Amino acid sequence: MKLDVQMRMSLKAEDRLFQLDVAFQSAKNLIVIFGPSGAGKSVTFQAIAGLIEPDQGRIVLDGRVLFDSASGVNLAARERNVGYVFQDYALFPHLTVARNVAFPMQHCIWNGDAGAAAVQEFLRKFDLADLGASYPRQLSGGQRQRVALARALIRKPDILLLDEPLAALDPVLRGKTRGELLKLQQSFAVPMVVITHDPADVEAFAEDLIVFDMGKVARQISVDATNRSAQLRDVLGLD
Amino acid sequence: MTDALVPLFLTLKIAVTATMIVLFAGVACAYVLGRYSFWGSQIIDAICTLPMVMPPTVLGYYLLVAFGRRGWLGSWLEDSLGIQLIFTWQGAVIASASVAFPLVYRAARASLGGVDHHLENAARVLGAGEAKVFFRVSLPLAWRGVFAGTMLAFARAMGEFGATLMIAGSIPGKTQTISIAIYEAVQAGQDSTANFLVLLTSLVCVCILAASGKLLQRQF
Amino acid sequence: MPRLQLIFSLGLLLAVTGSVAADELLVSAAASLTDAFKSIGAEFERAHPGDKVVFNFAASDVLVKQIAEGAPVDIFASADEEAMDKAVKGKLIVATTKFNFAGNRLVLAVPRDSPLRLSKLEDLNANAVRRIAISQPATVPAGRYAKAVLDQGRLWGVLQERFIYTQNVRQTLDYLARGEVDAGFVYATDAALMKEKVRVALEVTTTRPVAYPIAVTTASKNARLAREFIDLVKSGAGQSILQKFGFTKP
Repeated sequence: MKLDVQMRMSLKAEDRLFQLDVAFQSAKNLIVIFGPSGAGKSVTFQAIAGLIEPDQGRIVLDGRVLFDSASGVNLAARERNVGYVFQDYALFPHLTVARNVAFPMQHCIWNGDAGAAAVQEFLRKFDLADLGASYPRQLSGGQRQRVALARALIRKPDILLLDEPLAALDPVLRGKTRGELLKLQQSFAVPMVVITHDPADVEAFAEDLIVFDMGKVARQISVDATNRSAQLRDVLGLD
Repeated sequence: MTDALVPLFLTLKIAVTATMIVLFAGVACAYVLGRYSFWGSQIIDAICTLPMVMPPTVLGYYLLVAFGRRGWLGSWLEDSLGIQLIFTWQGAVIASASVAFPLVYRAARASLGGVDHHLENAARVLGAGEAKVFFRVSLPLAWRGVFAGTMLAFARAMGEFGATLMIAGSIPGKTQTISIAIYEAVQAGQDSTANFLVLLTSLVCVCILAASGKLLQRQF
Repeated sequence: MPRLQLIFSLGLLLAVTGSVAADELLVSAAASLTDAFKSIGAEFERAHPGDKVVFNFAASDVLVKQIAEGAPVDIFASADEEAMDKAVKGKLIVATTKFNFAGNRLVLAVPRDSPLRLSKLEDLNANAVRRIAISQPATVPAGRYAKAVLDQGRLWGVLQERFIYTQNVRQTLDYLARGEVDAGFVYATDAALMKEKVRVALEVTTTRPVAYPIAVTTASKNARLAREFIDLVKSGAGQSILQKFGFTKP
């Protein structure tokens, strides 16, 4: 599955003009976008998801053109089949966990009893079976993240974007969650793109590492299975 | 005393109808103007707010000029649809709706604008069309503010006097609302009737406020 | 709330008049006297340099209510004796100053371009007559005169459905001028003011003569000046102004 992104965009933030000029391609299953805050990582995600429109560029996912300024193609977000886990999870506070997860389903809330059963099965996979009737505000950080993941994956997206998925978790939980995310990627066979500024995440996930700096792709590194630490060392500035 | 109940029921009928109208119109306008910015949207926003700051008699005058038999809107309505709004309870509804509209509109603008746009974006990415985003995410999260605005609108519609008097007149059973009935009772020196009507209206208003307060208390 | 309305209109009155100075008169007069009295007022100020006359026009009964609630009015002129009687009953006017200074004619008027041809009151029953403007009998003399005549002709109940009640005779006139009603009861003097928009269909013979009484209020602080105003109204100069506007002799 190939992700091909090229885009240019001018963003006004307060009195500063921020220029985004990004280009990268990857066919790997685990892509990490790494860089300091303000480098334009989240904006890139929003463009891939179809929530904002670049001034110029082309975004192709697995042969499907999501955006092409030259030919005037700009698929609406709902048609892109992109899974997105926001930084703050963006769970719907007025819906229960079950209804949050079922939200992407087409007809009403439940597809009759079959729908309800399918959702319940999905909740079980994410270890949320007992929390179906709870509300997001009653959950812990880790539980909320699982709800966000379940909700994003229930429609079998072509790609899953995760914006700083572990930033809100405490260090102990982070390690455990990294493992779970890797397992998810395998079991759902969905390519994942992860934004992070934590080198530990890079080490755990990256098959392709794309380094952002000031709105541009500074470098892109392909990391193979052997000797990851050595390959990443100089990029991340680890000892 | 059942005579005195006639204006009350008439007023309730007019106020409820006007409130339903402005609820839909106010939320719709708030949605459109909040979501899309186009040339002239500022001006339309000002027009939507105008009846709130305009003296009711001024508004009544404009409505009279527009909807009167010789008015540009009124004559068209009469010639093509055979509808006359002056001196009818529907005319009173228009007067009440006009003054009440900004209350729902402004409340809806504020509430809908206050919904976390990340949530709306999340809905879009999850495959929701704009209608689903609005009805399943934005509106449920904004309903409190919209509801409060609607209650204010209802109260305003119940108490409408100046514009109603101009465009609907005071026809017992048809357009003599409770405010007008009280006014006329006082003028005619019928203080006991006036007192009864005032008491009745106050009671109704208190009940409505209490009921809406209870509704607001319930958590979603 | 009704008290508030009254207090509010009183407040407005006070704001308009400010603190009534020693040389300022506040005259509360029936709506139909608007134009004639403004003219008389100007005449009065010419004859009494330094003195001012301020007017407050409304339906006669409303004026009585205002005076009863303490409005600082010096002179009250009403469009029928019933309203003045209310004032007398409330001890609001000095009975010895009461004087009928003018008369008027009640007419049935229609919008100028109306196709209706009404030759007698019974014609109001026609299908083409859908809306009849009449002032509130409870508060407006013009409405009372009209109701008395219609009662006498046993037409009041029959025509009930078509009545549009107005707050004063000028509002009736306005509705006629706008073509919002098919017919309306106004004074001949009112109809004369809007010849371009309103046409008199027929003159209504009232059950009792239309009489305009005027009196000084008991609470007036300018009784002497007030009497001088009434003298002017009674005088040849005042009467000729009234007749110019179409009022008849008392």
